[in-house]
Amino acid sequence: MELFRLDAMQVADGIKKREFSAEEYIQQLLERIDRVEPKVNAFITINRKEAIDKARSIDKKVRDGEPVGPLAGVAVSVKDNICVKGIRTTCASKMLENYVPPYSATVVIRLDDAGAIVIGKANLDEFAMGTTTEFSKHGATRNPWDISRVPGGSSGGSAASVASLECAVSLGSDTGGSVRCPASFCSVIGIKPTYGLVSRYGLVSYANSLEQIGPAGRTVADVTAVMNAIAGSDRNDHTTLDMKPDYSSRVPDRRFRIGIVKEFLSGADPEVAKVVYNAADILTKQGCKCEEVSLGSVEYALASYYTIAMAEASSNLARYDNVRYGFEMSSEGYEWNSYYAKVRSNFGEEVKRRIIVGSYVLSSGYYGKYYLKAQQVRSILKQELKSLFKTYDLLMGPTMPILPFKMGEKIDDPIKMYLVDIDTVVANLAGTPAISIPGGFSGGLPVGLQLMADEFQEQTMLDAASLFESVTHVQRSPDL
Amino acid sequence: METKIGLEIHCQLTGAKSKLFCSCSCEYRGKEANSNICPTCAGLPGTLPLLSRRAVELAGMISAALGCTVPEEIAFYRKNYFYPDLPKNFQLTQYNAYGITSMGVDGIMQYGDGKSARIRRVQLEEDPGRLVYEGSMETSPYALIDYNRAGVPLVEIVTEPDFADPKDVRLFLDKVTSLIEHLGVCDTRLEGSVRCDANVSVGGGNRVEIKNVSSFADVEKALRYEITRQNSMASRDIEIKSETRHWDDARKLTKESRTKEEEQDYRYFPEPDVPSIVLGSEFPSLVSRSMPELPDKRKERFISKHGLSPHVAQVLIDNKELADFFETAMSAHYLPREIANWIVNDLMGFVDEQQKEERSILAGLKVTPGHIAELARLVDEGTINRSIAQQVLAQAVKTGEMPSQVVRKTHSSRIDDSDELGRVVDSVFKAEQSAVQDAKSNANAANFLLGKVMAATKGRADPKAALELIHKKLAEQS
Amino acid sequence: MAVTKDQVKHLGWLSRIELSDDELALYAGQIETIIKYLDKLDTVPLQEVKPVVASKKFSDLRDDVAVEFEADPLGTSYRKEGFVKGPRMV
Ligand SMILES: [Mg+2]
Ligand SMILES: [Zn+2]
Repeated sequence: MELFRLDAMQVADGIKKREFSAEEYIQQLLERIDRVEPKVNAFITINRKEAIDKARSIDKKVRDGEPVGPLAGVAVSVKDNICVKGIRTTCASKMLENYVPPYSATVVIRLDDAGAIVIGKANLDEFAMGTTTEFSKHGATRNPWDISRVPGGSSGGSAASVASLECAVSLGSDTGGSVRCPASFCSVIGIKPTYGLVSRYGLVSYANSLEQIGPAGRTVADVTAVMNAIAGSDRNDHTTLDMKPDYSSRVPDRRFRIGIVKEFLSGADPEVAKVVYNAADILTKQGCKCEEVSLGSVEYALASYYTIAMAEASSNLARYDNVRYGFEMSSEGYEWNSYYAKVRSNFGEEVKRRIIVGSYVLSSGYYGKYYLKAQQVRSILKQELKSLFKTYDLLMGPTMPILPFKMGEKIDDPIKMYLVDIDTVVANLAGTPAISIPGGFSGGLPVGLQLMADEFQEQTMLDAASLFESVTHVQRSPDL
Repeated sequence: METKIGLEIHCQLTGAKSKLFCSCSCEYRGKEANSNICPTCAGLPGTLPLLSRRAVELAGMISAALGCTVPEEIAFYRKNYFYPDLPKNFQLTQYNAYGITSMGVDGIMQYGDGKSARIRRVQLEEDPGRLVYEGSMETSPYALIDYNRAGVPLVEIVTEPDFADPKDVRLFLDKVTSLIEHLGVCDTRLEGSVRCDANVSVGGGNRVEIKNVSSFADVEKALRYEITRQNSMASRDIEIKSETRHWDDARKLTKESRTKEEEQDYRYFPEPDVPSIVLGSEFPSLVSRSMPELPDKRKERFISKHGLSPHVAQVLIDNKELADFFETAMSAHYLPREIANWIVNDLMGFVDEQQKEERSILAGLKVTPGHIAELARLVDEGTINRSIAQQVLAQAVKTGEMPSQVVRKTHSSRIDDSDELGRVVDSVFKAEQSAVQDAKSNANAANFLLGKVMAATKGRADPKAALELIHKKLAEQS
Repeated sequence: MAVTKDQVKHLGWLSRIELSDDELALYAGQIETIIKYLDKLDTVPLQEVKPVVASKKFSDLRDDVAVEFEADPLGTSYRKEGFVKGPRMV
């Protein structure tokens, strides 16, 4: 049996029923990783020893009849901007190439408690800044459906590792679409939870007020199980809300009122739009009511998003001065300002660009012109969504306006690259949840369908995804 | 020329147990370098600030005590600048803009005799780490960094430029110090627990900031120096630059900073990881409930209930330690005026100036409230007279012996036994025959005889009783 | 508004990032384009809108309890008697 093909729920089930051992499963995955990594490059670090050790301890518990958790033995890749104690966390940057955190992120502890096994640290754009996973110190990740194309980003390693059957599920972080975009390009499911639902403790900050950690997986049941493990208040994160949800992945009885966001489609590639309209037809056949709606302030969303993201980033990344941790470079002989400027020139091009723009929009006299306005746009967007969610259970559109594109195609034109985030940033600005599910293919390339719900309505989103999943059979893994 | 002085006072909330945004201890002093840190205060990637409720409460008490308005909601801002003592290269602090305010705003405080100064704001922020150099900052081949202090809660009190005279600044600082001591928010005796920066402008000229003043006593000196410097420049028509100057503690002068002063652009924005905190309408009553008796009230009580003079009461409450000392002594023997006078007029004479500056007046002093209470009782009961009592106190300060013990050992209790006194008077009359003759016609000569009696008894004689005896004996002889 | 190389240099200084001449030239052009795009914000009518602010209750803040972190959180090996050796100040 090819165990690496199993979904997370099948893995946990098989291990608990002793159909196979966690160790066998992990061994097979490590072999699979060795086979496909040269093509995909989804990982920065592979935790061979730790993974096997954990698998053995789970097998022992199963033999001893002890409880092993809902994700027992399930291999998870963790984006390399989420801290795992004792394992290097690089953020795909020279600045953290030797950084080993002395603590684990809350989500990692919770996954560990649920029995999951961290198989490796997934590749990303440096400090999660990018849409293609090309801006990585460790080389670009490739789209498993076509290795000449980008997998999306910044959680490209997360989505690619799941699509390539190198792990069952993954944790990514979504600041402006960073889980949903690669989920869309790699034909897997990716969730951006409501802001405050999942702890960010241990997630290396890029833009604190926008980002959430979210899962990627091949089935609704798998991402639901991960959400159940990680969601809920954390006293190590002041921005989490006091709740502990329990989601289900059963196909629902109810049928949904779905608004199709006109602005998301008008700017989309016709091939992409076709897949979305087709999905609307499928859902309508299932009894859902789909109609076009307008979300007017989308026009300002990107400007607001990039202002806030870059401003917060410029401040968050100030701490990387190579004094307390970092890479090998002695400060002896340097005056402190010149040492800081020298070491910090080792940030990658995109990171430097964002830090500089962030400094610009916050510099004296500009706060009111950019940052404050950007925050006000968030309010407007929130209000607009609130009123739409009075009428509709969900909003729908493409996750990405375009198909996965060739590597190197957009990397030299920042604005062109930023523009493709137009459909995803809305949920980050408004703090609302969104999911990208495989919608179909166009010319062999995946198209993701984005569903957005009101704050804390993750269950509605998962229900619709389950419904869609039950009637469509979108292929979720490529031949590699 | 008109002088305007404004102050920025930083006060560590040593009354809190944990740092402002993490659970490390506030007690960083005396610890091995970098042993009092965690991922959060060391600025590690992925960590998040967790605001301490107690620190907010203590800062609320300071704000209320300074007569500030405490808002219903507070927020934190990032002040972005690079410096080797800052683990994150930004400081979490407060900032008043865009409808959000700091812990307290628009206060006013009375000090001295009927003077007052406006408080612009009170803000809560984190202390940076500490830099140590081998030799001086200029010559050290590296900066040695200790992050143990990083994250300790600080309250910054910013005044309006309402002072004209450095002496008033001193009075104000004494008042603030006493206030925070009474609130129990800060142990001002700990080195570096209170720091003060000042800004000075003369004749409407540019503002000069003075930093690095390590003691409140030096603030006055630094200001005097700076005002003289600016006045002499103005009189020679030299423009005063807007700059930051450092107080040179060794040479007692202000000097230009050696490090190039960059035009600062702090790029403030609200800290996303600390939501704005809703203090709610119950917060002020929570604060006032935990608020102890403040110096002004205490002074009032000392005057009205215990009959102290305003001056003596002021000296006592200017230093909480002293006021507490007084109250303890008074509870042993209720002789408030006597006790207060002994503390203020006599005991203080034994405390050196250095200790007064450091506000650790009673540290190492062998005299306890019990000593002063007993001394006051001995005087009050007439066992010893005032001048003897002074000698007894001097002895007690030296050895820590109780006053009654000193009196017993030196046989210094007052001689009021008329037999004993009679014998002394007899011997003086024998020795001073001519003066005795004199005294029969000249009242002043009787005082001369009294002097002799006092000298023979080393002051132990009760002068009134002795004089009576002298007059009686003179009358007998005539 | 044109973004000059000097402005980028100043922003580089504010952010403590040394930029080569080539980078200054590249960034000046790109940042100008980006800022022009962000200037869109100027066209939104926003007078009455309050910015988004999350809030938390005072009572939900962290308890004032001191807890010691058991490990050494500093990764650098440039140390002297526990101190971290940073670059010289002047
Ligand atoms: Mg300050
Ligand atoms: Zn700490």
